Amino acid sequence: MEDKPSSSPMSFVDQIVVPGDVVLDLSTMTNQTIKLGGGLRQDSDAISVMKAGKLRFSKPNKYWVESSQKRYVPCVGDSVLGIVVDSKAENFLVDIKGPALAFLPVLAFEGGTRRNIPKFEGGTLLYVRVVKANPGMNPELSCTDASGKAAEFGVLKDGYMFECSTGLSRMLLSSPTCPVLEALGNKLSFEIAVGLNGRVWVNATSPSTVIIVANAIMNSETLSGLQQKIMVDRLLQKIQT
Amino acid sequence: MMEIDRADGRTPNQLRPLACSRNILHRAHGSASWSQGDTKVLAAVYGPKAGTKKNENPEKACIEVIWKPKTGQIGKLEKEYEMILKRTLQSICILTINPNTTTSVIVQVVHDDGALLTCAINAACAALVDAGIPIKHLAVAICCCLAEDGYVILDPTKLEEQQKMKGFAFLVFPNSIHSVLPEGSLLVEGEPVEHGIITSVTHGLMSVEEYLKCLERGHAASAKLSDFLRRSLKLQLPSDSSKAK
Repeated sequence: MEDKPSSSPMSFVDQIVVPGDVVLDLSTMTNQTIKLGGGLRQDSDAISVMKAGKLRFSKPNKYWVESSQKRYVPCVGDSVLGIVVDSKAENFLVDIKGPALAFLPVLAFEGGTRRNIPKFEGGTLLYVRVVKANPGMNPELSCTDASGKAAEFGVLKDGYMFECSTGLSRMLLSSPTCPVLEALGNKLSFEIAVGLNGRVWVNATSPSTVIIVANAIMNSETLSGLQQKIMVDRLLQKIQT
Repeated sequence: MMEIDRADGRTPNQLRPLACSRNILHRAHGSASWSQGDTKVLAAVYGPKAGTKKNENPEKACIEVIWKPKTGQIGKLEKEYEMILKRTLQSICILTINPNTTTSVIVQVVHDDGALLTCAINAACAALVDAGIPIKHLAVAICCCLAEDGYVILDPTKLEEQQKMKGFAFLVFPNSIHSVLPEGSLLVEGEPVEHGIITSVTHGLMSVEEYLKCLERGHAASAKLSDFLRRSLKLQLPSDSSKAK
């Protein structure tokens, strides 16, 4: 059984850690405020890992474990794609692939009043923003941005929705633009909505475009930037011939 | 100590070749297959999903285990395995994080060639990691068999289990932890966390010294298993859908 050299906390950053590993020792870091993100927990003076993944650090003081899962952990400020499950008097119950159903208040729309409550049936796909995500409680959503404007949130009509992992959604939303989306955008025209909870919605004028985009995105999870470009070129070539 | 001949030529402390693949089932939220020699078990994790069962505490997450044998109907033995697995997994999961949810673990036996329960525990632990369920540390399981002359062998095959055994013990230990803390500070009652034991199930007759010998051998082997699990997690994490052997 070997122990990693315990010289400095930087020794685990950008390395793959396994649940149980102790990555930070708070007794050597007095007078500092440290922010812990997902995947880490505090055990008195030791910070240990709860989920397997890569430990990341961003200055000045944020640590988190980056991992990719099929389920989603709700966080405030995320934009997600939810599916309406039920509607109650005060809110809609929306499934966002988290541990609990989320509530979307019936008035959380731009210009929403008691007189014009939208009617959503079960199965409606919505692009929403997470407003509250407290542990043990159902998350709360909203169809407006922080200032109350609609800002593209709301119902997504037509198109095709598929599920992917949370890691792939983060890659699609990264800036600069993800290589697969850039390569597809150069040749095809389509509309896309990516939810951080592992759902992607694609819409285009012809069904074949929708299928190509969806397949290209699903294939690109494990490929590097260059491999993604090559894969998209090959797919597009097959269609032209 | 007499040398004992094992049918497949292994030494008493030698484990069978291990193989672990994760993310093999498309629909499950987490899945893993674990094989030790010819024994192979497939584990799938679904969850966490809202709601707990009737008699469970709603202030904690609930873990439900379903054991599916290779052939035959579900009987008392399967229920016993389910209970052992459930208690083991409950002790490694952090139950306070997602209260009032249920995580289902489904274990499917693909082939049974001895040490089935340990293979299942290892597969279930790898599947929980694959699903991203928060856990305190990993669990590694090992099976020790006691022959008539007091000799301890590890990881028996089905033939060895049926022929020789006076008794056997299934032991589950926490994995070895990589830490930035100086050695000696993570002690629980004076011993490092790795020296603890999570689960111990024994069958047959054995004396206290023989049991302690099993514990010691099992503990030494758990370090190798722990390293293997760590390596297989490292290999698979950057690219999710590849398999590691």
